[in-house]
This record gives sequence, C-alpha cells and structure tokens, in this order.
Amino acid sequence: MFSVKMSSEYCVFMYVALAVRARNYVAFNRSRFLFQINMSKESQMRAAINQKLIEMGERERLKELLRAKLIECGWRDQVKALCKEVIKEKGLENVTVEDLVAGVTPKGRALVPDSVKKELLQRIKAFLSQHST
Amino acid sequence: MKMEDVSLSSMDNSKMEGFAQEILSDLVEDACLGLCFEVHRAVKQGYFFLDDTDQESMKDFEIVDQPGVDIFGQVYNQWKNKECVCPNCSRSIAASRFAPHLEKCLGMGRNSSRIANRRIASGNNTNKSESDQEDNDDVNDNDWSYGAEKKAKKRKSDKVFLHSLKQPVHLNPNSPRRSKSMKHKND
Repeated sequence: MFSVKMSSEYCVFMYVALAVRARNYVAFNRSRFLFQINMSKESQMRAAINQKLIEMGERERLKELLRAKLIECGWRDQVKALCKEVIKEKGLENVTVEDLVAGVTPKGRALVPDSVKKELLQRIKAFLSQHST
Repeated sequence: MKMEDVSLSSMDNSKMEGFAQEILSDLVEDACLGLCFEVHRAVKQGYFFLDDTDQESMKDFEIVDQPGVDIFGQVYNQWKNKECVCPNCSRSIAASRFAPHLEKCLGMGRNSSRIANRRIASGNNTNKSESDQEDNDDVNDNDWSYGAEKKAKKRKSDKVFLHSLKQPVHLNPNSPRRSKSMKHKND
C-alpha cells in the first residue's frame, strides 16, 4: 500500500481514467453483448419448440417413425454387424457400452440413407411451421 | 432485456433448416444409442449370437434355382411315370390311378360299396320284385331315359342308396296333410 497524495488533480485524473476504461470496455464488448441477447432469444425459441415437440408427443412419434424406417432399410442389421466387429475386437466378456457407442455411433450416423433423412426432415419442418407461434 | 416471444416466421429459412437438422441428428443419435444398449444387453445376457447359424448348414438349405426342380431341389413330377404293382390282382397300374384302383380291387371305400349295392339291386330286379314302388320307379326310369344310360344308372344307384337307408314312407291316407288338402278342396 503506497500513500498517495490525494490532490484534486489526481482525483480528476483517476476519475477520467476510470471513465475511459469503462467506455472502452463497453465498446469492445457491445457486439458480444448484442450477440448474446439475440442468441438467447433464439435459444429461448428453440427451447420452447423443443418443449412443444415433447409435450405434444410428436417427438415420440418421430422416434418411432425413424426406428421403423431404419429397420426397413436394413440400417439396423448393418449397425449390428458393426457391433459384432467391435465385440470381436474387444472380446465378448469385456465389451462395455462406451466401447460400442464410441465404435459404432459415428459410422452409424453416416450410414443413415438420405431418403430416410429427407422424410424425417420434412415432417420436422412441417411441425415447426405449424407450431411457430 | 425483455423476455419476448418471437415468432418463428421471423426466423429465416436457413435457421429453420439448421434447427430441423439439429432435431434430426438428436433423433438419429437416440436411435444409435438405443441399438447399442440393446446389443450390449444381448451380449451380457448371452443371447446375442443365438440366431446365427454356421456356414455349413446355411449352404445345405440354400434356395435352388434350376429348371425342372422346385426351390428345395426336389423334382416335382417324378411320380408321374412310375408304375405300381397291385398286391391284389398283380397288375401294374399308373401311380396316379393306383389309389382308386386299389379301392375297387379290395372292395373298400365308398364308391365300391355303392357300385356293389347297385349291382345287387339290378340283380334283384331282374330276378324278383321287392316292392311295387321300387319296381315302378325302375321301370319308369328306363322308359324316360332311353338313350342316356348314365343318367339312368345314376338315378338307379341314388334311389337304391336312398331306399337302403330310409324305410319307404308310403302316403298315409290319414296324414294331416292329406286331410288339409281335402279340406281346401271342399271349401
């Protein structure tokens, strides 16, 4: 702690320095602030729509539809074959869920056929436009 | 900062597309995870490899796609040309005609008993008259179907069959029907 002579000039100087620093801080972060405000509106909206999706049972229906389509197009058997490879690699006794998930999910997501994706997207967009407000 | 509800129409298409893609990828991830859990449980409970068959037995039952042979590999009309020897009369009969021939030959089965009954009836008719009704019927039959022998035979056999089953019901003069008709006539 050093003792400073609190002269009036010094006080004015300190005050101005503080003001300048405050202004710079606000100016620099204004764009970030704005972005966060907009994002929070959008994320609120997304959260609200997600909630609607769940509450109206549409998410369950979409899940069932996706499941049926994936079985029909043979995706399930393909991914099961991938799982078999992981099991043979790690050994039948020591396979964990994490092993399976890590080994299978990225390839599994890529294996979903485009037609299935298109159809699901259509339904989701229809729901979004229907329940926009 | 007010908590406003912004309508989706203010959201432009690219953002909506992005949002829909996000929802889709969540759903796909759910499906993947679900499958992983199922597989993991099957492995730990020991039923994962149950429905697999080994390669050898798979080859045994493969679908056959050759001409003249069904999908199991069997020839479907190989019994057409074969002939069997009848144990009763020692004749060789074609396979598709073997069962009916055996029926007649051994004297078992419905048709053969019917024919036998008919023969008995026709034999009796020529020898002695059993009942007036039956006689008249048979004589009438012969008169009606002079050229159509088959029809006569069929009718005869049917009549014989029926008569052998039922007792002949003669019209009872005191039956209520008769009296009814008489009543109407009087009125």
